[in-house]
Amino acid sequence: MDKEIRFSKVTHTYQAKTPFAQNALDNVSLTIPAGSFTAIIGHTGSGKSTLVQHINALLKPTSGSIDIFGRTITPNTTNKNLKELRQHVGMVFQFPEKQLFEESVIKDIMFGPKNYGASETEAKSAAVEAMRLVGLDESLEDHSPFDLSGGQMRRVAIAGVLAMKPEVLILDEPTAGLDPRGHKEIMDLAEYLHDQNDMTIILVTHQMDDVIDYASDVVVMDQGEIVKHGRPEEIFAAPKWVYKMHLDLPSSAEFAMKLMDAGVKLTKTPLTIDDLAAEIAKIAGGEGPKE
Amino acid sequence: MSNFIFGRYLPGNSWIHQMSPQSKLLLSFYFVIVIFFANNIWAYGALSVLILFVVIFSGVSIGYFLKGIRPLIWLIIFTVLLQILFSSGGHVFWHFGPFSISDTSLINGGYIFIRFLLIIMISTVLTLTTTPLAIADGVQTVLKPLKKIRFPVDTLALMLSIALRFVPTLMDEMETILNAQRSRGVDFGSGSLKHRIQAAVPLLVPLFTGAINHAENLSTAMEARGFTDSEHRSKYRVYKWKGKDTISWIVFLLVGVVVLFVRKN
Repeated sequence: MDKEIRFSKVTHTYQAKTPFAQNALDNVSLTIPAGSFTAIIGHTGSGKSTLVQHINALLKPTSGSIDIFGRTITPNTTNKNLKELRQHVGMVFQFPEKQLFEESVIKDIMFGPKNYGASETEAKSAAVEAMRLVGLDESLEDHSPFDLSGGQMRRVAIAGVLAMKPEVLILDEPTAGLDPRGHKEIMDLAEYLHDQNDMTIILVTHQMDDVIDYASDVVVMDQGEIVKHGRPEEIFAAPKWVYKMHLDLPSSAEFAMKLMDAGVKLTKTPLTIDDLAAEIAKIAGGEGPKE
Repeated sequence: MSNFIFGRYLPGNSWIHQMSPQSKLLLSFYFVIVIFFANNIWAYGALSVLILFVVIFSGVSIGYFLKGIRPLIWLIIFTVLLQILFSSGGHVFWHFGPFSISDTSLINGGYIFIRFLLIIMISTVLTLTTTPLAIADGVQTVLKPLKKIRFPVDTLALMLSIALRFVPTLMDEMETILNAQRSRGVDFGSGSLKHRIQAAVPLLVPLFTGAINHAENLSTAMEARGFTDSEHRSKYRVYKWKGKDTISWIVFLLVGVVVLFVRKN
């Protein structure tokens, strides 16, 4: 099956034909290759969340169409038979811990698979596997999700999505409000799923360091339009433009800019810590970082 | 749902937007009472002309206004039909079993229709031109006399303004949870009644726990900012009685007198 996600001239207007009408997406055409790790970045209110909610047809375009998993979503698509599509596309919302409701952790994780017709035992084994993936201890199985810490609750929520074994995983700011360790664990999980399970990952984020460290594709949005789509190095090659889009540079590039302002001459703008170390080592005449 | 404008606020700077909320509240209340005094075509005509001016002065386009109250039309039609089919007396044109249509029932049906329309229109104008917080302030001012009988007006006003403030927040949260559960394979709004009720659980439980969390955080934050009780507070938003309020009252009272004058006894 064709696993590419294709947006063709998609426009989305909230509350169309009222004084409250708000254009959130404006003539967006975009192809997200199968198996990519795509980061979607942009200023607050640029339409990132609206864009990703089209991928599993929670929102339908006001005009244009989206091709995904052999389905074409158009403005006339009805709400029937979308289940199959949604099983393929797992969606982790912002603060997903808010969606927990079952009496025990395991039941909450089994909820998704069971909705998609898995038997009790199938759902259970999928849930146990998902718990292992997100690093939840097995002993938490029978706890109430409401007794857990914030970080653990988020993992339960993510496990609930992973248990459905999606092929595309959409993460809408999955690390918002987490401590640095929780942040790294969630991002590493996304990378693992991408590398080992061949999942297409779509990440909405404000963390440019994550974009550099994990993403293979970057989509930059501004006021409902896609203004740039390319590899992370291409996106961050023009710092002035990045600032104009109200975005930040990755912290290494930020630091390098300050060095350059202070008169230090670097041959290129380093995007990762390793690049930065190599550049500095070049000037200092050393060897660069050793692996 | 998105076309439904009843209970929403539309920012603007019209005559009615600038009136003080307490006088708008009282005027709407007064208008509804006057509606029930009207009982002939002249009285309803006067009230309809008045409401037309009110809508024009609210700065909301009439087309949008009518489109917005259209969803309520089915409720009105249903009530009017009941009135027409089941009321007795007068010259009967047609009857079948318990149903009958007579000239009085037709006239009564027509009156009910106009009444409904007028009430809906005045209350829609009120909510379209007044922010929820202003309405809460208005209620507080209007209910002030009840303090005499130790009714906790200030507490009620506080609860009302917090409730109104959290309506959109909770709506947003509901939307997100709805979407999150949809992506986990829940089918809302289809299947048997039992199935639908079961489908509501994954929506209601998170919504309630979310609300409880909000309440806990909000009360902590309020205490941290020195809130002790609702009695001893000063006010940031002060709504003064303006010339526009006086003029509006004069117009409304005049129309009220006209209605009393032309109604048949």
